[in-house]
Amino acid sequence: MFEIDYAESGEVVCSGRLDAAQSARAEAFLGRLETSHTLDFERLEYISSAGLAILLKTQKRLSGSGAAIKIINVNKHIYDIFRYSGFNAIFEIETL
Amino acid sequence: MGSQAFKRNIESVADIYRFSEDVMAAADIDESVRFPVHLAMEELFVNLVSYNPGARQDILIDVQIADGGVVVTITDHDAAEFDVTRARPVDTGASLRERKPGGLGLHLIQHMVDTLEYDYRDGRSKIRFSKEPETHDV
Repeated sequence: MFEIDYAESGEVVCSGRLDAAQSARAEAFLGRLETSHTLDFERLEYISSAGLAILLKTQKRLSGSGAAIKIINVNKHIYDIFRYSGFNAIFEIETL
Repeated sequence: MGSQAFKRNIESVADIYRFSEDVMAAADIDESVRFPVHLAMEELFVNLVSYNPGARQDILIDVQIADGGVVVTITDHDAAEFDVTRARPVDTGASLRERKPGGLGLHLIQHMVDTLEYDYRDGRSKIRFSKEPETHDV
């Protein structure tokens, strides 16, 4: 199960498993962002390439207006995926 | 250890996760093995489904446990030939402007599993990969 929603702080909180079957839900939410946002991955357990594609697509779109996604509380396994994908160079990332 | 057939649609990835998680949890497989195994299974399954949408047969997944590691065999009897060990390279050093979404799945697998083999004959694709537990120097 994957969930994505705003926290009271304004951060976007992601939880569960962002796999290929759930990427449409992430895309629908992130596709509405128009300004810089922080994504909190503390409760995100898993992400596959389908989720990475949505993050990259969002970052590319936001960069056109000078905005960006920052990702915080990334667990070790997901950070490894970011590193192997080169995402650590195109996103600001903070690990747990 | 076990085998199960899965319907060839993207929604099956949740069932594949539950099946493989049950097998690995029962064998007390470490999270450092489970995570890359789940990732590789999803990426390979989605690849088979996405690049051969006209196929109808279920895809068989077999999970075997050995010495704390895992060996997975994915068999598709209704497959187009595509050697997953020869994936197109991804320029992970490209700038944000140059990067294109997609194409990372097989790239990630090659970093995260220990072995990856592909065999194709008579319309059947068989993909086998293994992941050993991490060793730590004392």
